[in-house]
Amino acid sequence: MVEVGDKVIGYSTDPGVRNKGASGGLVTAILAAALEKGLVEEVVVLKHINEYEAIPIITSDVEDVLASAGSMHTVPVNLAKYAIGKNVAMPGKPCDIRGVIEQAKRNEVNIDNTYLIGLNCGGTMYPVQTREMLINMYDIDPEDVTGENIEKGNLIFRTKSGEEKGISIDELEEAGYGRRLSCRYCDVKIPVNADLACGNWGVIGELTGNATFCEVMNEKGVRLLENAIDAGYVEIEPASDKAITIREKVNNVMLSMGEKWSEKVFTEIPDGERTQYYMEQFADCINCGACKEICPVCTCGEDSKCTMYHNLEDNYRMSMFHMVRLMHLSDSCIGCGQCTDVCPVDIPLTTIFRRFADKSQKKYNYKAGMTLERPPFLEVMPR
Amino acid sequence: MKEMIYQTICPGCGIGCGLYIRKNAEGKLSIDHMKSSPVNLGKLCRFGMKLPYYYAKENNAVNQVNASNADVETAIKTAVEILKDADSSSTALLSVGNTTNEEQMAFTKLAATLSTVVQTGVSSECLNMPEASLAEIEKAKRIVLFIDPYAQYPLIVRRLLTAKKNGASIVAVGTQPLNLADETLDLKPGQYDELKLDRESLIIADMHPNSDIKLAKNILVLAQKTGAKIQFMRSFMNSFGTGLSVNQENKMFGLAELVEDIELGNIRTLVVLDSDPIELMPDNEAAIEALKKLDKLIVISSRSSPVTELANIVIATEPVYSKAGTFLNAEGKLLKNSGTGKAGVDALSLLNAGIGGKAFTYDEMNYLVLKAIEAQKENRSVAAECAASDNGISSPKVLKGKYELKYLYNPFMWFDQKDDNDFVLLNRNTVRKLGLRKGGYVNMKSDRGELKMRFRVEALPDGLVLTAKKLPVATGTSTIISMERC
Ligand code: SF4
Repeated sequence: MVEVGDKVIGYSTDPGVRNKGASGGLVTAILAAALEKGLVEEVVVLKHINEYEAIPIITSDVEDVLASAGSMHTVPVNLAKYAIGKNVAMPGKPCDIRGVIEQAKRNEVNIDNTYLIGLNCGGTMYPVQTREMLINMYDIDPEDVTGENIEKGNLIFRTKSGEEKGISIDELEEAGYGRRLSCRYCDVKIPVNADLACGNWGVIGELTGNATFCEVMNEKGVRLLENAIDAGYVEIEPASDKAITIREKVNNVMLSMGEKWSEKVFTEIPDGERTQYYMEQFADCINCGACKEICPVCTCGEDSKCTMYHNLEDNYRMSMFHMVRLMHLSDSCIGCGQCTDVCPVDIPLTTIFRRFADKSQKKYNYKAGMTLERPPFLEVMPR
Repeated sequence: MKEMIYQTICPGCGIGCGLYIRKNAEGKLSIDHMKSSPVNLGKLCRFGMKLPYYYAKENNAVNQVNASNADVETAIKTAVEILKDADSSSTALLSVGNTTNEEQMAFTKLAATLSTVVQTGVSSECLNMPEASLAEIEKAKRIVLFIDPYAQYPLIVRRLLTAKKNGASIVAVGTQPLNLADETLDLKPGQYDELKLDRESLIIADMHPNSDIKLAKNILVLAQKTGAKIQFMRSFMNSFGTGLSVNQENKMFGLAELVEDIELGNIRTLVVLDSDPIELMPDNEAAIEALKKLDKLIVISSRSSPVTELANIVIATEPVYSKAGTFLNAEGKLLKNSGTGKAGVDALSLLNAGIGGKAFTYDEMNYLVLKAIEAQKENRSVAAECAASDNGISSPKVLKGKYELKYLYNPFMWFDQKDDNDFVLLNRNTVRKLGLRKGGYVNMKSDRGELKMRFRVEALPDGLVLTAKKLPVATGTSTIISMERC
C-alpha cells in the first residue's frame, strides 16, 4: 500500500527498461503502466533525435515511452503547454510542473486527470554550447557521447568506448559553459509540486545508478505508483533514513548554489535608474512575439492585453508589449528560461521578468507554480 | 491522422533558421523551436513565428489547367505539350531560391533540355558566394552595415550585439538610425573612404532581385580595396543554392530585365519554380500587365500566390517544410529537411522526359547537388571575384515639396504576407510641416493614385518616407510622391 508522504526507492522490473532508463527506469515504467492500464489516454515524452536533441511528442504508443528513456540535460524545453486540454501523464522538471500548475489555475489544464512525475533538476544546458564545451573542456568528440548525468556537482559524460569523464559544474560555468542562467539561480530543485518527486539523489550503495528515489506527494501520486506496482511494472522498497538525509543534503547544496547565483545576477538597480534599465534592455526587441508564444504560463491566446495595447506604429520609448508583460508576469513568472532561450536578439528576458516579479512574489511570500493557490494580485492589500 | 513533426528551415530569408513544424491530428500547424540548430539556436524572428499562417492550408497551391482544378497528370501532360511547342529562344525559366537544391537541380535539367538556363533574378555581374560564416560577425573589429538588420535579417542582430560586446564598432550606411550602430552615415560611394575599413572589418550588405547592382558593385570594390570581408545576405531560403547549378559562362539577368523582355515580347513562354514575379517586382500592377503578355505561363509551386492565378498551368508541389531536400544558407551551410515529399522533383522529371530529356530521381538530383557543393568549395575564390568598378549610382531627384517613398524590404514584403505594418516611417520635420496629428493619417499621392496611411516618426533624413509593405502608390523600390494631411 502506497501512502502520501512515502519515500521509496524503486526501479523497473523489465531489465531492458532498467538498463536504458536513467536511474533504473522507474519513471519510464510508471508512464508505460499509466498508459497501458488506462490511467491516462496519452503521455507527453521527449522523442530522442540524437544525444543533444529531442522533441516533445504526445503519444499513446507505449513504444514511444520506452524509447524516450534516459535523461537529456541538453534539451531545455518546457513541456507544460503540451498537457493543455489532454488527459495525460508526463515527466517534468520542476519548471515543467510549475507551468502545468499555472495552466491549471487558468483552466487550461484539468489537474485532476493530468499526472505529473517530477524529476529532480540541477539544471539544463544548451545543445549547441554543450557540443562546443565537449570539444574545448572535455576533449571528447560530441558524436562519441552516449549519455550524460549530473552527480555530486559534476557533469559526467559517457562515451562509446565506455569511458566516463566528469568536470565540476562550477569549473564549467566559470569557463562560460554549463547550465542555462535561469537554471543556475532556480530555487526549486526537487519537484515537490508534482504528484511524484523522483530523482537519483539519495540512491546509495549497490543501487547507485540503478534505481530512483521517489517521494509520493499526493493522492494522484499514490494512484500512479500503485497502478505501476499492480501492473507488475515496478518494484519499490522504503528509502532508508540515510538515503533521505543524503537526498536532503544534495538538495540543500544545490539550493545554496542557486542562492549564490541569485545574489550575483540580481544586483539592485538604484532608484531612478530602473526605467532606463528596462528601456535599454528592450531597445533591440524586434517584436517577434516569441517570448509570449513560448511562455508556459501564458494562456491568453492571440488577443491578449500585451498585444492589444501594442502596435508597431507606436512611438513609445519603451515597448507597451513588454510593459504589460512585466505586470502580467509579476505574479506568474516561474523563471523557466524559455523566453530568454528563444529571444532572437538575446535579450535576457527571464532575468528581467524575474527581477520584476521577485519583488512582488517575495512580498506576498508567493512562488508561482508550486500549488493551486490563487496568485495574490498586485492591487490587493498584503494578506 | 497522427501528429507529424517536420524538421525544416524557415523560408523567410537566406539565414535558414532551423525549426520544427508540428502538424496535429486535425491538420493544425504550429512551430517548435529547434534549439540544437547551429544557425539560430532555435530562435526565430517575427516572420518565422508566423509560419503557421504562411503555411496555412488555404495557401497551398493546387494543380490547375487554364484556371480549372485538374489532377497532376493532366497538369503535367498539358505543360509538356506547351513546352514541346515552345521556341527555346523565347522561353525563360525562373527560380529565385524558394525551394530545395534538388528541385533547383531538376529545374536546371529541364532548362538544359529546353536549350536554355534557369534565371535566378540576380544579374550574373554580381553572383557571389558566402565569404564569412555568421559566427564570424561576432569577431569583426569594425562592421559596416548596408542593411537594416532589425527589419531585413533579424537573426543577425544577436551576432552584431555580441560583436559590439566584443568591442566592435558598428556603422550603418544609410538613412535610418539603428539602435545597435555607433553611428549612421549617409554616404555616397565616393565617400566610402570615410568608413575606415581594413582587413579586420566586415561589410554586411544584401543582394536580391531588386538590389541596385551599381551599389552592389561599389560595395564589392570597397571590400577588395580595403581587404575587408563581405557578407552578402540573401532574401530567399535557398538563394545561394540557386548558384550551385549556374554555369559561370551563362548570362544571368536581373528580374527587372527579365520582366522587360516579357513586355517587349522577347519572352513568350515563362516557367517559374516557387517564384512569383508579381510578389517579387516592386510594382504588382506593372508585373501583372507584363505577365499577361506571355503566350504561356507555367507555374510549379508549393504556394498559391498572385502568379498562380494568372498561370495557364499550375503544377502543385507539397509545402516546403514537408519536402525531401537540402538548402544552402547565407553562410554556405548545407541544411536538410526531414520531410520525404518528392512531388517537385518527380514532376520536373516527368516534364523533362515528356519533352525528350531523361527522367531522373530525387537521389540522382541529391547526388548532383552534393557534387556541385564540393566543386564550389574548390572554386570559392573565383566565385567571389565578380566585382567591377562603376560609381554611377543613380539616386532619384526629389523636387521641393515632394518626397521619396522607399521600400524597406523584409520577409513579409517578399511574400506579400499580412503583418502589423500598415504605416509609413517619416521624420518629425515632415510631421510638423504637414501638420500631421499623432494617431492620424497622411495622404500619399503618386501617378498611381492616392493612399491614406498611418505613420510613425523616426529620425530619417528630410524628404524620405519608408515603408515595410508594398503600397499601391509605389511604382518601384523608390517612388517620388507628394503628401498632405488628411
Ligand atoms: S525570416 Fe530569416 S531571420 Fe527570420 S526566422 Fe526566417 S530565416 Fe530566420
